[in-house]
Amino acid sequence: MPLPQACTGWVTSVSPRDKSKIPNNFSLSKPFLFRIDQELGPAPDAYLELTLPLSPSRKTGSWMPCPCLPELTGSPELEPRRLEGEEQGGGEATRGDNMQQILKYLIIHWKCETAGTSKGALLEGQLVISMEALNSKHQANTLHCVTTIASAGSIYGGLVLKKFLKEIQSLLPGFSAKLNWTSEEASYSQDISGVTPFQMIFEVDEKPRTLMTDSLVIKNFLHKIVMVHPKIKFNFSVKVDGVLSMEVFGTKNEPTLNLSNGIALVISYQHYVSKPKFATAELLCSRIHPVLGHAVMLFIPDDIAGMGLLGELILTPAAALCPCPKVFPNQLNRISSVSIFLYGPSGLPLILPGQEQPTTTVFKDTSYFIDWKKYHLCMVPSLDLNLDRDLVLPDVSYQVESSVGDQSQNMDSQGQTLLLFLFVDFHSGFPVQQPELWRVHTLLTTHLSAILMENHSVVQDSIQVAMDQALEQHHQATKDHQKFQASLSVAVNSIMSIVTGSTSNTFRKICLQALQAVDTQEFGTKLHKSFHDITRHRSLPYCSCETKQQLLPEENAEENTEDEHENSLELLAGTSGQVENKRLRQGMEETRAFHSARGPSQSEASVTPCGSRASPGGDLEDSLWQREVSNLSEWLNPGPKP
Amino acid sequence: MAFAPMGPEASFFEVLDQHRASLLATLRRSGGETAGGGTRLASSSEVLGSIESVIQDVITSVARNEAPAFTIDNRSSWENIKFEDSVGLQMASHCTTRKIKSDSLKSVKKFALILKILSMIYKLVQSNTYATKRDIYYTDSQLFGNQTVVDNIINDISCMLKMPRISLHILSTSKGLIAGNLRYLEEDGTRVHCTCGSTAVAVPSNIQGIRNLITDAKFLLIVEKDATFQRLLDDSFCNRMSPCIMVTGKGVPDLNTRLLVKKLWDTFHIPVFALVDADPHGIEIMCIYKYGSMAMSFEAHNLTVPAIRWLGLLPSDIKRLNIPRDTLIPLTKQDQLKLDSVLKRPYVTCQPFWRREMEIMADSKLKAEIQALTFLSSDYLSRVYLPNKLKFGGWI
Repeated sequence: MPLPQACTGWVTSVSPRDKSKIPNNFSLSKPFLFRIDQELGPAPDAYLELTLPLSPSRKTGSWMPCPCLPELTGSPELEPRRLEGEEQGGGEATRGDNMQQILKYLIIHWKCETAGTSKGALLEGQLVISMEALNSKHQANTLHCVTTIASAGSIYGGLVLKKFLKEIQSLLPGFSAKLNWTSEEASYSQDISGVTPFQMIFEVDEKPRTLMTDSLVIKNFLHKIVMVHPKIKFNFSVKVDGVLSMEVFGTKNEPTLNLSNGIALVISYQHYVSKPKFATAELLCSRIHPVLGHAVMLFIPDDIAGMGLLGELILTPAAALCPCPKVFPNQLNRISSVSIFLYGPSGLPLILPGQEQPTTTVFKDTSYFIDWKKYHLCMVPSLDLNLDRDLVLPDVSYQVESSVGDQSQNMDSQGQTLLLFLFVDFHSGFPVQQPELWRVHTLLTTHLSAILMENHSVVQDSIQVAMDQALEQHHQATKDHQKFQASLSVAVNSIMSIVTGSTSNTFRKICLQALQAVDTQEFGTKLHKSFHDITRHRSLPYCSCETKQQLLPEENAEENTEDEHENSLELLAGTSGQVENKRLRQGMEETRAFHSARGPSQSEASVTPCGSRASPGGDLEDSLWQREVSNLSEWLNPGPKP
Repeated sequence: MAFAPMGPEASFFEVLDQHRASLLATLRRSGGETAGGGTRLASSSEVLGSIESVIQDVITSVARNEAPAFTIDNRSSWENIKFEDSVGLQMASHCTTRKIKSDSLKSVKKFALILKILSMIYKLVQSNTYATKRDIYYTDSQLFGNQTVVDNIINDISCMLKMPRISLHILSTSKGLIAGNLRYLEEDGTRVHCTCGSTAVAVPSNIQGIRNLITDAKFLLIVEKDATFQRLLDDSFCNRMSPCIMVTGKGVPDLNTRLLVKKLWDTFHIPVFALVDADPHGIEIMCIYKYGSMAMSFEAHNLTVPAIRWLGLLPSDIKRLNIPRDTLIPLTKQDQLKLDSVLKRPYVTCQPFWRREMEIMADSKLKAEIQALTFLSSDYLSRVYLPNKLKFGGWI
C-alpha cells in the first residue's frame, strides 16, 4: 500500500525487522509527529509512529485520535503490532527511567549539533513533555498513559530517525518500537505550520501509583538538567482524567556560575533547600556562592578505557553552603547536611534516581573523599530522598550525625546544607561526536565509582580545596555572628546597668516609656529583643553579594537594564505570560495520582511559581554576580591539572 | 619656704627673668588666660545627666526601630583641627564626625564597649570613686583585649561628652617624674616635696586634686627621656641651677604629665623649656607639650603650654659644637616622613626658627641624641650646655 504523501494524524507502524526500510538519510528536520507506543510486558515491544504533518487539533492542546489509523493498520507490509501491556517488574527500567534516557539522548544530540556552530554556548530552547492518563479500557485500576515529547524550534534538525531508533533500542533493552514513515519527498515538503516540528509519543498502561512515581522521577530529572542548562525550558504537564497539572522547569534570568563548556550552574538557593522557617519574608541573599576546586584529570583504568573511553575525563568540583549565611545572619549557622550532585559531560545527570546506583557506590563511605573530622563534623548517609519536593534531588545525601541526640535533630532541620557539585567532562582532542558522548555517559553511569576510586588522591585533594574555601567563609561567618551577638549583649547589659542604677526618676520613666515597658525587667527583655530585631540582618561583611553595587561597571548596568526590560515584558504579558512560568492546576482535585500534599485550593486554577523563581529586582545583583563568578571560574579553571 | 640649695648667682638668671617678664606681658596682652585656667570641671550631676542623655538617645533609636549609633568628632584628620597660637591644636567648631554604629560588624564591638565604659563611669561618678584606665581594663581584660582599646574609648567618651577625663572619675597611672623646687598637697592631704638629691617624685594621678603648690623655681625644664632626666639628677642639675623644676614624661607624655606642666605654667608662669633629642621624634614630643596632639585636641585648653621654648638639642648646635659626624645618626625613611609631617603642621608657620632648625636637620639628613654631647665631656650637658643656654638665652 502506498504511503500518503501528506496526511494528518494517520498512524502506521513498523516492526523491528522492517526498520531496514527506513531510509538512512531520513531526517526529522521537517515538521512531523513522531510517536512511540510502548507497552511493557513479558515481551516488551513498542510502536514508533510517524505522522505528517501535525494534526491541527494538536495546536489546541487536546489529543485527538488519528483519523487515518484504520486505513493504515490494514497494511500488509506495515502491520501494526499492539502488545498486551503489563506493568513492568521491579528490576526493570521504569517508564520514567526510559523517558530520562530518551531525553538524555535528545540533549546529547542537541549538544553535538550546537557544538558545531557555537562552541561552549549554552543550549537554548524549549521541550514540552506532556503525560495524559485515562482509565484503561483493557485493565481495571489501570491508567492508559500517553506521553508526548515535543519541541518548539529547530532543536532536532539533523536527527536521523533510524539511527535514533536503533540506538534507543539498544539503550532501552525492554523497548521495541514500530515505526512508520512516509516517503523522503514527503518528509521534506510538509513544513506547513512550522509550529511544532518535533513530537514523540509513548503510550503505556500504568498503575496510578507508578504514574505518580514516574512523573516525579521525570520532574526531578528535568529540574536537575535546568540547574546547569539555564536556557533550556521544559514544559511538563500531566493530565489525569481531565485534571491538568502543569509545571515549567526553567532557570532563565537566574544568577549562574559559568562553568564553561556550555554549562552554567544556577546559584539561586531555593532550588537546593527549602526556605528557612525563621528567615523573614525578605531574604538578604538568595544565592549560593560556589567555590570551584581545581580541575583534575582522571586516570581511566585500562579495562574501562577498553570499553570505548578514549579520551580524557576532567573532574571539576564546586562547593557551596546553602543558603547563604546572610539569610539568617543572627542565627548560629551550622551544617546539618551535605548534598552531592553528579553531572556528566554536557551537564547531564549521571545517575537515575530510585535505583541502586553503581555510580554512587563510592560515596557510601562518607569519609572516602572528605575528611569531616577536620571540620568537626560526623556524617552519615541520608536516606531521605523524597522526590515529591520542589527541590532538585541530590544524587548523594549525608546528614550530620548528632552527638546530642534528639535535641540537635530538631536543630539540624534549620541548619545549612553543604552542596558539593562534581562535574565530569570528557575531552578526546577532537570534537566529540554524539555516539562517543553517549558511550561516555553510559560508561560513566556504571563506572564512575571505579574511576573515582582509581583517582582517590587527586579527587580528594580537589574536593578538599573547594570544601576548605567554602567552609572558611562559613567559619568566618560564624565567628562574625558570635562577635555581633557578644557585643550586643554587652551593650544591652550596660544600658540596663545604667537604667537600673539610676536615681533619676525622670530618666528611668523616659526609658521605660520609650519601650513601653512597665518595669525594668520588661524593659530589659524588650531592649534585648529590639536590638536583636534591628540588627538581625546587618552583618556579614564578607558576603560577596553585599559589595556588588559598588562594583557596577557601565556595561553591566546596561545589560541589567535589558534584563529588567525583559522581565517587565514578561510581567506585562499577563496571564498568557504567567502560564509559561507558572504551574497551572485545574480541576476539582489535582489528581488522584498526585495525592501528595499540595495547595488546598485545588478546585481553582492556581498558579504557583516554579523554575524561574528569581525576583526581577535581583537582576542588577545577579548580572554582577554572574560576571564575578564567571571571572572567578576562568581564573580558577584555566585548564585541567594533570 | 622650700628648701633652696645654693644655685648660681642672681645675675645668672637675668635673661631668664627678662624672658619671664616678656611671657607675662604677652599673657596680659592676650588677657584670656588665668592661673588654673582651662575648661571648668563638670560636676557629678552634669556627668550623670550627660550619660543619661546618651542612653536616652540610644533607647529612642531602638524604640524607633533604628539602629543606634554614637557620633564622635573625627580627631584623626587635620582638617578638623584648628591652630591658635595661644592655645595650640583645638577641634574646629564645625568638624566632621564619625559614627560608631551598632549594626555594623566593624564597629559593633566599639559601640558596646563605649556603653560598657559609660556604665562604669556612671557608677564611679555616682559613688564618687575614681578608677585608673588600668583598673577599667582589668575589670574585663578579655572583653577589652588590650589597654589601648580602653584608652581610646575613654578619649572618645571624653570627646563625646565634652568633659575632661578627670570629670569622668578616670585617672591614669602616671609614668612621668618630677624633681626640683616644688612642694604641694595631694588631694588626700599627702604633703609632697620634690626637692631632693638624686631621686624624683612620680607625677600624681590626680593633678586636678593637688593644691598648695609652692616653688621658687626660675624655670621648668621638660626632659624628653628618662635616661637624660636621671643623668641630670645624678649631676645635681637641679641643685646647680637652683631654684628650678625638672619634669620628664619618659617619651611621649601621658595626660598627667601634660596636666602637671600645664598646672605649673598656669600657677607660676615661669619659663618652660624643652630638652629633646635633635630628631623628628623629639620635636614631635616637644610639640605635644607645647601645642597638644590631634587625638586630645578636644581638651587642648587643659593640656597645652604654648609658652614652652625649645632649649636643645638644636640641630644647629650640632654644627656649632663641632659634634663629630660619626656620633650622629642618619635619618631613616620614617624619620624623613615624620619630619615632613611636622613641617606641614599648622603651628610651624608661626615658628620660623623651629622651621629653620628642622630644615637644617632635613638638609643634613642627620639626627643626634642628647647623649651625643657626652662626646665633648661626660657632664657637658649639665655643666656647660644647659647652663650656657639658660644664662644666655639659647632657646627658640
